Amino acid sequence: MIHLYCVVLELEELPRVPGLDGAPLEHRRIDGFELVVSKTARELPEVSEEAVLRHASIVEELMARSRAVLPAQFGRAFADEDELSDAVREKAPELERSLSRVQGCLEFGLRVLGDRPADEHGSTGFSGSDYMHTRLAETRERNRLLQELHEPFTRLSRASARFGGASGELFQGAYLVPEENADAFRENVRRLETDNPELTVVCTGPWPPYTFAVEREGHP
Amino acid sequence: MSLTEQHDLRQQVTLLELVDRVLNKGVVLTGDVTLSVADVDLVYIGLRVLLASAATLEERQEAISAGSAQP
Repeated sequence: MIHLYCVVLELEELPRVPGLDGAPLEHRRIDGFELVVSKTARELPEVSEEAVLRHASIVEELMARSRAVLPAQFGRAFADEDELSDAVREKAPELERSLSRVQGCLEFGLRVLGDRPADEHGSTGFSGSDYMHTRLAETRERNRLLQELHEPFTRLSRASARFGGASGELFQGAYLVPEENADAFRENVRRLETDNPELTVVCTGPWPPYTFAVEREGHP
Repeated sequence: MSLTEQHDLRQQVTLLELVDRVLNKGVVLTGDVTLSVADVDLVYIGLRVLLASAATLEERQEAISAGSAQP
């Protein structure tokens, strides 16, 4: 089986680290695209936390040695060279666009932790209609606040994505940020923390552009 | 939340973000899927990443600081 780490653009050199299962990394060129792969002996590569972290580490090493990377999702493998080549050819136009989109950018993650508005009113003293109006107003206010939170970051980004936060999490977003905007992005995070001491703001990254390696609705 | 708890929480969130990206994002070329949902769950558990929610993370941090669990 062949394990794909990422599609790269103008890779300088392979990092001197082993791939999954200790197999050497290999640099392939298929239809004008560069790929970094390694071979795995097992039909189904072992899925372990060590393997996930190894994959992530290699993608980061490759990002540092190339002009752009499109990280591959972990957990897919190709039976042979022909299957890999066919897969690349099938996705060639999308890969081309995605490489162009992520070039010169870093990905940041942003999570804002805090309590969602509590249901303080219960049902006592409220008609069903009053209750619904109140909840609707709360939802609109919350959405407005989240949009205000999100917008300063989107202005510094080439692309962005918002995800539904789990309970206890107000907000989760990912941003594709041109390298020259990275400091301003971090400064925005600091401002958000300073202005909202009641919130826990966690900014992660820079990551290889996992979230933006595929075309998403709303991308430029 | 103390500074230590915030630091631990941030580390957990960073690990969660990393695993989410590697397992759920990234370019998908066709190929054979080698990961089942159960496998993915095992990876999260193995890395002690708390998949459930940030609220769970906070509860865990409270439990850790109370000495009833290990990070």
